[in-house]
Amino acid sequence: MVAGPSGGGKSTLLRVFNGLVPHFHGGRISGNATVGGLDIIATPTRDLARHVGFVFQDPELQTVYNMVDREIAFGLENLALPQREMASRIEEALHAAEALHLLGRTVRTLSGGERQRVALASALAMRPRLVLLDEPTSLLDPEGAGSVLSALMGMVERGTHAVVSEHRLEPILPRAQAMLHLEGGVVVEVDPKTWSAQPPAPPIARQSAIGAEAWSLAKVCAGFGSHVVLDGVDLAGAAGEVVALSGPNGGGKTTLLRLIAGTLAPLSGAVGRRPGRIAYLPQNPAALLHRPTVRSEVTFTIVRAGERESPEAILEALGLMSVADRYPRDLSSGERQRAALAAVLPGAPSVVLLDEPTRGMDSGARARLVSLVAGLRDRGAAVVLATHDAELRSALADRTVNVGGGRALEQPREAVLL
Amino acid sequence: MAAWSATCIFIVLSTTNPAYKAAVLVAAVAALATGVGLRRMRGVLTGVVLIAAFAVLLNFVSAHLGATVLFSLPDQIPALGGPYTLEALAFGATGGLTIAAAILAAAPFSLLLASHEVMDALPASLSRTGAAIAASLNLVPAVAASFVQVTEAQRLRGWRPRGPKSWSEIVVPVVLTSVEGSIQLAESMEARGYGSGPRTSVKPRRIQLDDWLLIGASGAAFAIFLISQATGWAAPWYAYPSLTPPAIDATPLVACLLLFAPVLIWRSRS
Repeated sequence: MVAGPSGGGKSTLLRVFNGLVPHFHGGRISGNATVGGLDIIATPTRDLARHVGFVFQDPELQTVYNMVDREIAFGLENLALPQREMASRIEEALHAAEALHLLGRTVRTLSGGERQRVALASALAMRPRLVLLDEPTSLLDPEGAGSVLSALMGMVERGTHAVVSEHRLEPILPRAQAMLHLEGGVVVEVDPKTWSAQPPAPPIARQSAIGAEAWSLAKVCAGFGSHVVLDGVDLAGAAGEVVALSGPNGGGKTTLLRLIAGTLAPLSGAVGRRPGRIAYLPQNPAALLHRPTVRSEVTFTIVRAGERESPEAILEALGLMSVADRYPRDLSSGERQRAALAAVLPGAPSVVLLDEPTRGMDSGARARLVSLVAGLRDRGAAVVLATHDAELRSALADRTVNVGGGRALEQPREAVLL
Repeated sequence: MAAWSATCIFIVLSTTNPAYKAAVLVAAVAALATGVGLRRMRGVLTGVVLIAAFAVLLNFVSAHLGATVLFSLPDQIPALGGPYTLEALAFGATGGLTIAAAILAAAPFSLLLASHEVMDALPASLSRTGAAIAASLNLVPAVAASFVQVTEAQRLRGWRPRGPKSWSEIVVPVVLTSVEGSIQLAESMEARGYGSGPRTSVKPRRIQLDDWLLIGASGAAFAIFLISQATGWAAPWYAYPSLTPPAIDATPLVACLLLFAPVLIWRSRS
């Protein structure tokens, strides 16, 4: 296992194992590294691919073909495997990835967890001795993450080595034989049996009471074309309240956020919201980053919102001062996530909508986010979080709403702490 | 399929006669309706109708030629002033017919065939290129989704469309996100040995009897129409100076009717 804070070098280290660093990404490298007896600097990645497989973080950006069996055959075709051997290798790989039932399916119809298992099968089809997995579950819901980790454990039990980089360590920590902690480019070997995760961020007591209604959905139906995602939903949120949305990917959490934001019109029903600025963190937050520095992203929002706040306040709150003058798209995925948060949250938004805000974040960054959102809550913002992160929900949520199957089912309101 | 599409496009572009263009258009619609179904074609048909209507309108308002005047606008109006004629409308309609037929002739490649089927049909020497193209096509829906997401997010940060320069706040992040997505996909391909040498194929495509029938019908249609053009049987047509009905000869018409072959072949298969 490889663990450590975001921006510490975990993804770079994994890419050294299969030669993507330096052959694909360039840069400077010194020292030597061997995998399976092969010198990674002297051996191109496409030759190392016979011995080392890789599963990347985003299940949607690893697919060449739209049919599952075709996708798994891609690596075998690159190896010039005889056509008569491919069918059996494809089945063998899908079985190893616990995804044999996906044979013949269209990749676009698969869930995130299923797509990651297809990605794992694509790597296993080439019969590597080592498989690298770079945060394979960070974009998945709990069910998808569980299925991928189960397939990973099965693969290891059958004799394939694995190096996994993850922030959510608890599910696989008991099975890890070795652990590396990576911070600031420095690797420290840690005994996984004695390593303990940082305790979850405690709930922050509120400094103000929940106020008047800030947004509402009344008998709202929403969807795309003939596909109805939300069916007759009644829901409301108040100023100074944090509502957490849980549920499977594709269940309607993002649709609900877009309805509240006003960027998606309902098919029927009414959506109401109070006047004021809406801060919205989309599902792919890097998509909105386009300024030359992190600081200028924050300033962009402050100026447009007519606020007078200094960008340093939010940069400090999110631990971004050390990267404030860097190009946001050069940052690690966790740092980029925080940069996007800094870009949408400055000032005093009246409604705050966050879609998976802790994606790729380590526990330290999560604690900073909890503190920041608690501050916004106490200043009267109505906050809605769509998140799989149970720790974030327990630290912040006044209410949790489960969204899925077209419904939004509320759980009882928790006691208000003063 | 490629032979059929190429023949349709050849006939539509090589003749000025709207009768033969219309025959090709009807054959293309019939083939798509048989292979894909009218429901799946709705989007393409809507787009084609809009594009063709635009072509008709453009010619009608800009070409003030022809003997049959429908109405006139004062000559002092720049570009739009002058006589509006039936001949200009008919010539524009012929242009719209050409565009519609050409688009629908090429539509099977996106509506009927999966990208890997098109790539599998490429010769072995183009296999690596085909894989790269198939991967690129998979990114196209992501670009469209990214545009929507970025526009929504930037609107909530205060962005409004205020002239061409303001669109850079949308276009730049969309382009950057698309480039990053393609880099990540390229990384995934390299990690699976892409570019390591000659490639094999999991499903080498063998030409079946139905394929030969379609190739034969398309080849015959191509040859017959080419001969018809050379001998003058496929008479040209021109809307100006006054409108006359297009001449229709049996031989080039037979060539157009051969383009209905997919309808017969696919119906007999099902």
